[in-house]
Amino acid sequence: MSEEPARPAFAGENRTRSAKESAIKWFLFVCAALSVFVTLAIVATLLFDAIEFFTRVSPLAFFTGTNWSPKIGEAFGVLPLVTNTLAVTALSALVAIPVGTASAAYLSEYASDQVRSVLKPALEVLAGIPTVVYGLFALVYVTPALQAVGIPVGTFNLLSASIMVGVMIIPMVSSLSEDAMSAVPDSLRQGAYGLGATKFEVTTTVVVPAAVSGIFSSFILALSRAIGETMIVVVAAGMSPQLVPSPFGSIQPMTSAMVQLATSDLAGGTAAYYALFAIGLTLFVITFSMNVASNWVASRYREEYE
Amino acid sequence: MATERSTRDGSWYGDGEGVNQLRGQLFKWGCLGAMLFGIVMVFVLLAYVAIDAIRPLTADPGWHLTFFLTLVAPTSALLGYYGLRDRRSGLVGAIATALPAFCLLVGAGISLLLVDVFRPIEWFGTAVALVVAVGVVYVHRRLRTEPAAFERPIVTVGALVLAVVGVPGVVPSLSQLFRNAPIALNPATMLLYSFAVPVAILTGLAIARRRESRRDGLIAAALTVVGGVLAVIAAPAVGIDDYLLIVLSLSIAAPTAVYVEGVVRERDHLVGLALPIVAYVGTFLGAALVEAYGFAGPEAWLDWQFLTSAHSRFPQEAGIYPALVGSIMMMLVIVVSAFPVGVAAAVYLEEYAPDSGTVGRVVGLIEMNIANLAGVPSVVYGLLGLALFIRYADMNTGSVIVGGLTVGLLILPIVIISSQEAIRAVPNSMRQASYGMGATKWQTVRNVVLPESIPGILTGTILAFGRAIGETAPLLMIGAAAVVFSPPGSFAEKFSAMPRQIFAWSHEPSAEFRYGVLAAGVVTLLVVLLSMNAAAILIRNRYQRRS
Amino acid sequence: MSNENMTAPNPETEAENDDDAVSPTPGSGAVDAGDLETATASSRTVIESRDLDVYYGETQALDDVSIRIPEKQVTAMIGPSGCGKSTFLRCINRMNDLIDAARIEGDLLFQDKNVYDDDVDPVALRRRIGMVFQQPNPFPKSIYDNVAYGLRLQNKTENLDEKVEQALKGAALWDEVKDQLDESGLDLSGGQQQRLCIARAIAVDPEVILMDEPASALDPVATSQIEDLIDELAEDYTVVIVTHNMQQAARISDKTAVFLTGGELVEFDDTQKIFENPEHQRVEDYITGKFG
Repeated sequence: MSEEPARPAFAGENRTRSAKESAIKWFLFVCAALSVFVTLAIVATLLFDAIEFFTRVSPLAFFTGTNWSPKIGEAFGVLPLVTNTLAVTALSALVAIPVGTASAAYLSEYASDQVRSVLKPALEVLAGIPTVVYGLFALVYVTPALQAVGIPVGTFNLLSASIMVGVMIIPMVSSLSEDAMSAVPDSLRQGAYGLGATKFEVTTTVVVPAAVSGIFSSFILALSRAIGETMIVVVAAGMSPQLVPSPFGSIQPMTSAMVQLATSDLAGGTAAYYALFAIGLTLFVITFSMNVASNWVASRYREEYE
Repeated sequence: MATERSTRDGSWYGDGEGVNQLRGQLFKWGCLGAMLFGIVMVFVLLAYVAIDAIRPLTADPGWHLTFFLTLVAPTSALLGYYGLRDRRSGLVGAIATALPAFCLLVGAGISLLLVDVFRPIEWFGTAVALVVAVGVVYVHRRLRTEPAAFERPIVTVGALVLAVVGVPGVVPSLSQLFRNAPIALNPATMLLYSFAVPVAILTGLAIARRRESRRDGLIAAALTVVGGVLAVIAAPAVGIDDYLLIVLSLSIAAPTAVYVEGVVRERDHLVGLALPIVAYVGTFLGAALVEAYGFAGPEAWLDWQFLTSAHSRFPQEAGIYPALVGSIMMMLVIVVSAFPVGVAAAVYLEEYAPDSGTVGRVVGLIEMNIANLAGVPSVVYGLLGLALFIRYADMNTGSVIVGGLTVGLLILPIVIISSQEAIRAVPNSMRQASYGMGATKWQTVRNVVLPESIPGILTGTILAFGRAIGETAPLLMIGAAAVVFSPPGSFAEKFSAMPRQIFAWSHEPSAEFRYGVLAAGVVTLLVVLLSMNAAAILIRNRYQRRS
Repeated sequence: MSNENMTAPNPETEAENDDDAVSPTPGSGAVDAGDLETATASSRTVIESRDLDVYYGETQALDDVSIRIPEKQVTAMIGPSGCGKSTFLRCINRMNDLIDAARIEGDLLFQDKNVYDDDVDPVALRRRIGMVFQQPNPFPKSIYDNVAYGLRLQNKTENLDEKVEQALKGAALWDEVKDQLDESGLDLSGGQQQRLCIARAIAVDPEVILMDEPASALDPVATSQIEDLIDELAEDYTVVIVTHNMQQAARISDKTAVFLTGGELVEFDDTQKIFENPEHQRVEDYITGKFG
């Protein structure tokens, strides 16, 4: 029952519709830009409060001090925390890198489709387990097991925690490395087979070297995850920072120290409170640069085949 | 390059220098061994914790025997049959068996919210208010066929907001008015209206669409409401509060009935339905038999008492209930906040964002930024929550809303990235077809892209939620309570969540806590996680097969 | 892979080969005038198939193929797409083993030994036979490492530099790359990459070089360089080349095998005979472009 339109039906309604379309587009853009806001917020809070901390404790004392006891002696040397973090990362790398790369090689080059459809989801299970559960596994099952075998570990120790951190990051290494290896064009494998290479030789002399950038970037990403790992070490590794950590005793990496500061009774405004943000800033800078580095390394490999 | 060579080279067969395969075999088996080492280690640990939680070895041999005969043997035989002969039926059977269990979990979650967080009268008030709001919008649409620029969205949003929230401090919302009005209805009736009726409507719509018959849909809806009434009647016999039984029974019955109806109607692998029948009948039969013969079940740490009690100094009496409710409430906050924002951001980045020009470069930066945010340690997000929400915005330390927002921020990049992938997977030809018919961008997104990509979005989001429910470090940083003795009464109250409670228990010195209560808590968390992941994977597989 | 109805078994092609024993074959320099012994040696059969059938699953790719390929000559295999030429090529060095669904019946002999016997190691076999693929596929390594790859595989690393140089010269690539041996093989042009692949193949001194449409992905200039190279290669190696390009086959090959639908080897003879006066009508139709 509408009257004859004076203009053709596809002209004129434009203005209302495009106003609505614009509004929707801007709303969606704001949602996307929220992520930038989050990054800025992280950087801002960390920076401001860290600066506040550095007005009370000199950066030199912080970055080169070898004693970390914020509550008792007001000593804020971050070096023990850093060496402990590196120790956890290094030991977990010993577990994750060989197992992850071997898994990736097997899944990519040797496994049949049936086997892969069972083993890949199994590996994904490892990635889905909450880290607090891994921490508990370390504390309640792995440590007693190590003790039973005769390794002199304390109740809280670096070794159990690092093993579980390593197991937790295996799926990261394995899945990203497998993607990199699968992306190697099949024509390269055919060329190597044509020259009389065995499967082992094809895998080790052609596929892995061709995928090495992607594999390497997966290492960096996994290690960055290990550096930022909190709950496993909080539960299983104890709370005493050692400048030279021993695998058998308790240690305290940066993440654990942050948790300890946050859960203890801290009066707002004390140096100890702001120390939280100084460590947080250090941690953020380290993991952020590692993630950027991993992206850079990965993007390099994309050029290698062309 | 010609060299003298004999006619027959001899090097490539028989006793010639065949190429050594030993290295290759060792390498292959070494790689497999390494991978299995990691996998087996974790599964062994999972088995340990499950055994510690359930302690099957403390049950009578008779108990084991009964359940073996009634449940384990027949089910395994059926599964073996499916595995060898008819895989698809096995899948149908597995879904039909797992669906009621999964719906029970969801229904239990909703019941928890009803018991402790939202009282039945609040649901009722909200439901009635929503109905009124929808009515207003509908009437407005009918009356005003030529609306001005933004009239329709304003009216819709306005009606909904006024109905549910009102203007804080000035105008009470419609739902509040209903709540305070002197209506003499008991909880069961209120829930019949506010829960049973919406579920009935959804069921009716699903059936109506599938059978393409409005009459069938109405019948289905009516049957659902009748089911609710039956639940009220049967409640005293079962021993559960009647309004809770409505929620539980309808949560289980409605989706299961819809699924089974689909299977039966298409006669698609009907044999599969034998599995749930055998499994559930076997379970009930076994339970009845052990009751009759007096066999003692396992003295499990994970039992009903554990799930419904609060923490206590005595391990036998400790439970996870408040933490469970806290986790559910936190998830609600995340669903309401992170999910819409994440999907909206993904829609923008995939559909609207230009690829080139200044804005294009900004968008590129945003995407890189999101990828980097996904790698920031969770403890730093906790710090952000502490500084932003607690200190700057002055919200309550350790409250549900702060916890939900902080963890929501943590999983926001994951939601965005996986939603982007799902949207990207929609074939471009569909978009082109829509534009070709003169649809605007938003119309295309709303009618073509989003419906196509919803399964993928849901999969990624549910997996992200699984991650959120297990996160502990941010909760520690924002001051979530180590131990609470009752669930939070509102979203602004201090709360504890499952992983937080588990972490607190790990500090208890007694061995019974460490090996018993802790294990029960871990298993509860893992069961919730497992069901979420299974649901996500099922959705992905179902919709991948369809397309 | 087309699956046309099977025609009658192809006529005996073996008988025709014996006639070549003494007559000079065009295009190859392998026959010394007046030297009967060399002439006989130059027609020695290096690869022979007898009633070879190949199936991919249910589809038959080769139907009862019997052929004798002479040494140190260029044998071309032509025919429309999907007629089994590449399949036959890949049977010779057992590259078809890499495909799960492939099933082979019949005999295929290299150096008078059936390559499908139980005591044959396919990996060792492939070290005696070189293969060049349609798309140049140099490894993402340096030019030097590409050529040295096969030698290192077989632990023949004495005088590696000389061998690499010889191989690159044999592939007519040395002059162009002698100053950039450390650069990536992928930095070369398409034609250079293919010659690099040829150098890589001949570095290990195989007896036979199999080429699967080696020039089809290259521009005309590069193609003609490859064709000249093939001519030279035939002085030292047996070359079996699959090609789509009939003119190319006519230019460079000594003998030509024509595969038609269903994986059937219809005719195998001197190139000149095939192109000027083929025995079978179907071959003539194909050559003159009536189909395919």
